[in-house]
Amino acid sequence: MQQIVPPYLLDRIAHAAGPRFPLAAEAARRALLREPPARLGIEPLHDLPSLLPDVPSSPDRRISDAEGRESLPGRLVRREGERATGDDAVDDAYDGLGDTHRMFDRVFGRDSIDGAGMPLEATVHFGDRYDNAFWDGERMVFGDGDGEIFRGFTDSLSVIGHELAHGVTEHTAKLRYQGQSGALNEHVSDAFGALVEQYSLGQDAGAASWLIGEGIFTDQVQGRALRSMLEPGTAYDDDVLGRDPQPGHMRDYIETSDDNGGVHLNSGIPNRAFALAAVELGGFAWEHVGRVWYDVLTSGRLPIDADFDRFAAETVRSARERYGADSGEERAIARGWAAVGIELPAPEA
Amino acid sequence: MDVIVSRSGGLAGLRLTWHVRVDDQPDSDDWYVLIEQIPWSEPPPLPPEPDRFVYRIRCELQDSAPASRAHDATLAERQLTGPWRKLVDLVQDRTEPERAAPTRRPTR
Repeated sequence: MQQIVPPYLLDRIAHAAGPRFPLAAEAARRALLREPPARLGIEPLHDLPSLLPDVPSSPDRRISDAEGRESLPGRLVRREGERATGDDAVDDAYDGLGDTHRMFDRVFGRDSIDGAGMPLEATVHFGDRYDNAFWDGERMVFGDGDGEIFRGFTDSLSVIGHELAHGVTEHTAKLRYQGQSGALNEHVSDAFGALVEQYSLGQDAGAASWLIGEGIFTDQVQGRALRSMLEPGTAYDDDVLGRDPQPGHMRDYIETSDDNGGVHLNSGIPNRAFALAAVELGGFAWEHVGRVWYDVLTSGRLPIDADFDRFAAETVRSARERYGADSGEERAIARGWAAVGIELPAPEA
Repeated sequence: MDVIVSRSGGLAGLRLTWHVRVDDQPDSDDWYVLIEQIPWSEPPPLPPEPDRFVYRIRCELQDSAPASRAHDATLAERQLTGPWRKLVDLVQDRTEPERAAPTRRPTR
């Protein structure tokens, strides 16, 4: 279906124009809904029409409540299609899983974590003032935070996307959670977490914050988020927390035995390469760098213990395959890696 | 003896350290009994799980104690069970954590 108003603009109007221009917003929403769903599995991905955040997907969500204990899964409190419970953690997790499922389904043609519609399960209210969220191999688990530094983990869509992306990595490239391959595992979760947030907001790469975990700190913390993909090391600088320790260049790579070899620290380096390439290309990041990264994850060519150099080389190779040799996409991605100190050998013609 | 617990990892990648001087505790004998109960050389094997905490537990000696009583073990969060969990709970109960920058190893 051809439309004279580009879908991203419709999306902006549908989402942002409501208070001032309610009729325009309603019209834009209706126009967006007329877009027919893509016939996934028939057309190759790059032939899909412009993809729209408003087109629903069909997740199978199950949210459980651990009721402050550290036992899983907890009590099932909201299943797919059931009404909001009024518990913000439950309902935010439910909505966030829906947004994440929609991006993977509509953009990458991947139905759920395993690509075969597996249920998306989450447990909220895990533990007592528990300061973390994680993926345990079967479900996403969210603590409530201590209320002093962290105010909970379900507020941030990039965090929910991050956790679910760990599941996708586990079902695809299986990057080993140690050292550089572990930092790549973390990077992939940050990248897709950011894309989920951008997709749900209809936000282009230039307008995006590139922050992970915006809104999970309390007001008492001097900081915007957990991490900045575009400017690693700048997400927070606080009397209690200290300063964001993430490096954004190979010269600052941190060798440590903490945190499985610094997986949450050194992920800043590939994060910055990804964000720089996305910003250089402009437009919607899920439509170019997101596709290339997804190709790499699912290519079967990436070793589980891949280091940064190998991963970078695979992204450039996938960009060539998808967009052609010396395409703008390939060049932007190679420049992104070069900017963080990862120089790739010139590709063979 | 000093017991030092450091927790790293987690989604946020923040590091916390708790430090207790066992000999300053009113129940120091109980601490030594508990520390001896821990199977230091054999934490149960478990692959790392994304975004979960990693605990490093060290028992460091002051000068005169026999060297066999020094311990150092790194555990995944799910491995913290039984006496391991009891020791970490005790340490966290007795002292406030310090936040610290990641410990860097010398580069290569």
